[in-house]
Amino acid sequence: MAYVPAGVYSPLFGGKNSPRQVGVPAFFLDVRPVTNAEFLGFVRANPNWRRSDVSPIFAESGYLGNWSGDLELGPRAQADSPVVQVSWFAARAYARWRGMRLPTTAEWERAASAGFMTENGSTEAAYREAVLKWLSVPAPLRLPPAGSGRPDVFGVRDLVDLVWEWVDDFNTARLADESGDAPGLDSNLVCGAAGAGVRDFTNYPAFLRSEFRSSLDATYAVPSLGFRCARSP
Amino acid sequence: MKANRLVISMVFTAAAAMARASGPPGPCCTPGAKDAAPEAVISNRSVYQLGATWSDDAGKPTPLASLQGSAVLLAMFFTNCEYACPMVVGEMKRIQEGLPVALRARTRLVLVSFDSDRDSPATLRLYRGRMGLGDDWVLLHGQSDDVRELAMVLGVKFAKDSRGQFAHSNLITVLNPEGEIAFQRAGLTGDISAAIKALTVAAQ
Repeated sequence: MAYVPAGVYSPLFGGKNSPRQVGVPAFFLDVRPVTNAEFLGFVRANPNWRRSDVSPIFAESGYLGNWSGDLELGPRAQADSPVVQVSWFAARAYARWRGMRLPTTAEWERAASAGFMTENGSTEAAYREAVLKWLSVPAPLRLPPAGSGRPDVFGVRDLVDLVWEWVDDFNTARLADESGDAPGLDSNLVCGAAGAGVRDFTNYPAFLRSEFRSSLDATYAVPSLGFRCARSP
Repeated sequence: MKANRLVISMVFTAAAAMARASGPPGPCCTPGAKDAAPEAVISNRSVYQLGATWSDDAGKPTPLASLQGSAVLLAMFFTNCEYACPMVVGEMKRIQEGLPVALRARTRLVLVSFDSDRDSPATLRLYRGRMGLGDDWVLLHGQSDDVRELAMVLGVKFAKDSRGQFAHSNLITVLNPEGEIAFQRAGLTGDISAAIKALTVAAQ
């Protein structure tokens, strides 16, 4: 795992009750997403997380849908590629099994905002290009191996150019600034309201990640959505 | 724009894949299972698969599965909530009062706190007194990890703000005796007849 020193995270959305910057204590983060081979080890040890046995309240039917079988990866899920089509519940159970946890949004975004050379990737042209390049092409049918991306300044790879990743509090971005009033959840249902409350319109990748997370349900097993683990020091 | 379409199509793919897998859950390692799984066979759609141990407002360890066999009306809340939660509790009382008397005894009203830090069992105890909640109400405190997992299973969104208050969706859930979600109502107020009907069916 890579050590990410204490720093700050600037939430993309904010209202009157939410701070401009959030302190993020130091934490450890996997240097790459969890692979199919690693997740297979988890599924072998925990039969109730096999594709045919998983509870429908913890994973929808597409769960591990790119594997060939309960315990066979097959041609569409290379052993060293990131595992995808895993629900939030499954990702969390895996992390717990390894004695770890999922990163929070603040931790994940803090790590992902680092560039190849500095802690602020937005000032590095090469970093910005790498992020936008990934966002501009559809996910390949066969994902590249996890860990093949260029490491950032913390030594973490693949954060912004391989797969989307689960975070522990993925569905909270639009809520924190709404307390004090009656919670206005309806803005989540109205497409035109998507940009309301955004503070930094120049950070398009972060905006896309935020929108993507807001659209998820914890049971979803989506192509191109994987995860990595974190732990506190 | 291409990326936008990608996101949207991915989400639609996920939303479209709603047919569910079936099969009984295995004996171990359900999310939240820090203790041994309950002995009784639990439906694979049951919320009671969550194995976490909660505390009631007397400090007694209370697994969710201890509610098995009862019809349950459940909401998530926190005691420092000034506006929405008292209204939700009021709605639950209205629903309870609308039940046929014979069914009330087989119905539990459950409040689970978001606020793992501040809502200790003792604080929940005070809340019980303040709100005049009878013996058929169960007030639960849990670890923040377990609170999040339960909220995800129920579809309740919540976030703590910088003042330590919680923004949250207002959702009242009816669980049948197996712990399966039988009915949910969003919003602070509204028609209670559907919830009463769902509880009546669940309690029979």
